[in-house]
Amino acid sequence: MGYLIAIIILCGINIVAALGVAILTGYTGLFTIGHAGFMALGGYMSAIMVKELHVPYPLALLIGGTFAGLCSFIIGYPAFRSRLRGDYFAIATLGFSEAIRLLLNNTRGLGQSLEDSTSRLGQGTSSLLIKLGGAFGYMNLPNVTTVGVVVITVALALFFAHMYVTSQYGKNSIAISQDEVAAEMMGVNLLKTKLISLFISAFYAGVAGGLLGFYFAYLSPSLFTITKSSDLLAAVVFGGIQSLIGPFITAFVLIGVPELLRTFAEWRLIIYGFLFVIVMIFRPQGLLGYVEMNFSFLGRWWNAIFRRKHTPSQEG
Amino acid sequence: MELFIQQLVSGISIGAIYSLLAVGYALVYSVYNFTNWAFDAFMAFGAFMAFTSISSLFLPFWAAGAISIVLTVILAVSAEKLAYSPLRARKAPRLFMMISAMGVNLAIVNIINLIYGGTFRKFPVDALQPIFIGNVSIGRTDLVAGGISFIVLALLWAFLYRTRWGLGVRASSIDILTASLMGINNNGVAVVVFTLTGILSSVAGIFYGIKYAVYPMMGMVTIKAMIASIVGGLGSLPAAIVGSMILGILETMVSGYISSTYRDLFSFLFLIVILLFFPNGLMGKSVEEKL
Repeated sequence: MGYLIAIIILCGINIVAALGVAILTGYTGLFTIGHAGFMALGGYMSAIMVKELHVPYPLALLIGGTFAGLCSFIIGYPAFRSRLRGDYFAIATLGFSEAIRLLLNNTRGLGQSLEDSTSRLGQGTSSLLIKLGGAFGYMNLPNVTTVGVVVITVALALFFAHMYVTSQYGKNSIAISQDEVAAEMMGVNLLKTKLISLFISAFYAGVAGGLLGFYFAYLSPSLFTITKSSDLLAAVVFGGIQSLIGPFITAFVLIGVPELLRTFAEWRLIIYGFLFVIVMIFRPQGLLGYVEMNFSFLGRWWNAIFRRKHTPSQEG
Repeated sequence: MELFIQQLVSGISIGAIYSLLAVGYALVYSVYNFTNWAFDAFMAFGAFMAFTSISSLFLPFWAAGAISIVLTVILAVSAEKLAYSPLRARKAPRLFMMISAMGVNLAIVNIINLIYGGTFRKFPVDALQPIFIGNVSIGRTDLVAGGISFIVLALLWAFLYRTRWGLGVRASSIDILTASLMGINNNGVAVVVFTLTGILSSVAGIFYGIKYAVYPMMGMVTIKAMIASIVGGLGSLPAAIVGSMILGILETMVSGYISSTYRDLFSFLFLIVILLFFPNGLMGKSVEEKL
């Protein structure tokens, strides 16, 4: 049972991050392979908040997410201003996440190099950086991520993502993903819409990173490699473009199934690779591409079960 | 001063390897308008084929290089036939081409990882003694890698600008539809482009393997080639080469004078600075223009 709960928690965390990628890649059409970097930023920030500053856990998650979102502007603003798109934006995100990982790997060295500084700020930064532990990881975090927390977070994440993609900004994002020039001519502010979309996406990743840290009770840079980013991207690609429920389901399946079939772990990415190609050739919109999440099917089932006498035409 | 000259030579040679990669990307990008994400997998594949030919089959270096080039070309052309050309035939959006290429990349890199394991291997060539000019020692591998890379680039230029096939590729890069209406064989161009890609990635893989190490994730270095082509200016071959040289020299200077740990951090910061102050790259005119 404990094992099953562990899998559900990991799935939930990955769903939150995958929803973030779905907003950016699925809806705004900006390809990212660097979301592991935002997860790392959010995770470390919320861990610092709880452990060093004793901020309450839910607030720390929000702060971590916001921090990841703000950091996304470092890459987002220059990239969007110079109209980097598609492949080159993906490269910029990949570079960003690798740079984050590199810095986190070397926090000890950085901290030791600051040790001699005389100012209190320098001293504080130095001891904090040493505590982060570099490649060894940030240890002894409180172990507070439970199934309940994860389920609530996933529900909230899904709700807010749905609100976003059906809002005016969401519609602007979809317009950008379909034709940037046409969207701009219709009066969509490209830079602003993309930055908002990136912020929300990074926020989701950051919250997921925080959940991950408080579940494992430690954080290390090796949790946030390019493999993590590929997993998240895979969930969105297989789940479908412009769909939230698709990535939701595939994130669950893609994380859950390999956890259950540990023996095939090294084949996983090979299979993903071939599946990428096959999906693109035979069903490029993904499993549930362009399927909007709505609950009208519940109403239909209700009618089907309890009001059999109604004809389909009366249901509208 | 000695250190400066040594780092400069080393930087130029690594810059030459980056330019092979950047040019390989720019070729595919200019004709088909998508980034061949599988390129880094081709590079790792080429390096591993040469590695195996030398360490298991005991072939001389040139024969191993030839085998590696042939096999990588076959891989590149079959990737294009199996993964890209069905999508192109359907006029799929660029995003789908990109994802398909990422799939090829994931599959190849992880198959290599499964067969060889993820360890770093030394490329099995004898260490060449560096040449001394005064107090300055210059690595012979740097000279060979840089020299051969420049020869390959020159041959590529000659092919593109002095042969009929090259004319076909250039015409397709301007407008592939019009080119095919003018009687250029589209499938032929695809084979030519991906053959060139295979050659470039294999040569780059071998020399990168000699200079550093052979390992499945070695293709990650192609991110530098991408950064270099953004720095230089997107989609143009000369700009890609200039960007690669600048990046290569910057990196070796950082490794020499500051710390090799933060080398990649500096190349990334450099990218952000360039994007902030030269949004179109150093030599770029407009993002929309090509080759």
